[in-house]
Amino acid sequence: MAKTYDYLFKLLLIGDSGVGKTSILFRFSEDAFNISFISTIGIDFKIRTIDLDGKKVKLQIWDTAGQERFRTITTAYYRGSMGIMLVYDVTNEKSFENIKNWIRNIEENASADVEKMILGNKCDLDAKRQVSKERGEQLAVEYQIKFVETSAKDSLNVEYAFYTLARDIKAKMEKKQEASNPPARSGAHQIKPNDPMRKPTSWLSRCSLL
Amino acid sequence: MKFCTHSKIFSISLNMSETENNTTTPEDDQTEYVEDGKNKMTIKCQFCGSKILEKKTAKYIPQKKELPLMKQDVNRKEGEVQKEMLDGYYHVENMYIFENIGFTHQVESYKYLICADCDAGPVGYYDLDTKHSYVALSRVIHC
Ligand SMILES: Nc1nc2c(ncn2[C@@H]2O[C@H](COP(=O)(O)OP(=O)(O)OP(=O)(O)O)[C@@H](O)[C@H]2O)c(=O)[nH]1
Ligand SMILES: [Mg+2]
Ligand SMILES: [Zn+2]
Repeated sequence: MAKTYDYLFKLLLIGDSGVGKTSILFRFSEDAFNISFISTIGIDFKIRTIDLDGKKVKLQIWDTAGQERFRTITTAYYRGSMGIMLVYDVTNEKSFENIKNWIRNIEENASADVEKMILGNKCDLDAKRQVSKERGEQLAVEYQIKFVETSAKDSLNVEYAFYTLARDIKAKMEKKQEASNPPARSGAHQIKPNDPMRKPTSWLSRCSLL
Repeated sequence: MKFCTHSKIFSISLNMSETENNTTTPEDDQTEYVEDGKNKMTIKCQFCGSKILEKKTAKYIPQKKELPLMKQDVNRKEGEVQKEMLDGYYHVENMYIFENIGFTHQVESYKYLICADCDAGPVGYYDLDTKHSYVALSRVIHC
């Protein structure tokens, strides 16, 4: 069968226990019909199809198991993943400090050119905040990684974060492809790095309409 | 305005007397939802409308197979899973054919398929032995 997409990116959610990785992937839901069955089994991964500048991109997004620690996550775990969301909880100082350990772990175990992004989750809980947005931004600058604060609860910036990470992976791949075989003269498929962000479709929005 | 149909009313007359020879009967192959053995329409979640499969990407198979109920009775016995027999599935050979779908953790040799947007499910199952997925016609809508 003919391939029905242009790109397939495997993404991983990483971070301390309780920061909200599963909540980012799993809908924040009080719907009675899921609580009993699906949520007791838990979600392994999701496949999402998005449109990035006219290309059909499939995202396979993996949650990581609750009790995993960076000490126990090794090469096998990262195999094949092209993008990693590093998640901390803005109400939990320790989870923020551990981002450095997670980054070190990724550097030791994941492929060198994996794209990364830092998410400061639970930004809806302002009263309980322990980590300011500025500190998150500083850390991101230090490691030259993109950063955004999110709320899985209010589905704030979650969609934006996945689009951003996917866009960066795509740009990197296209750069590589171009380097290995320079584009034809037509120029029709040139990448415009400064293409303005197009408004994403309803992907990952928790209250998408028909 | 597109019109979506819920296939609770879905019924394919399986003409048992004719299934002895292995050729598919016109009834199997050509229905309101199936054309040339494939899903004629887009497949969406019946609760939120999230697109699960593009049209003509999955093969219809007239198999009967049990799936856990989407709404489990709160008064059921502890550890019990209520199931129902469903007739008619779409066979998806490669998981990347799906537009949007979620996979649960493993239960026996299956992972259940759920809506990627609202997590409603199971809408089908993924068989870990064959790596093929199956979506129940009666758990989705056709648009
Ligand atoms: N207020 C608020 N609570 C959140 C948010 N995200 C997650 N939570 C809550 O934080 C708790 C932990 O969330 P999980 O998604 O289970 O965290 P996790 O990272 O998957 O944890 P492990 O599986 O143990 O690694 C849950 O009670 C969630 O309801 C958020 O954005 N805002
Ligand atoms: Mg979790
Ligand atoms: Zn849905």
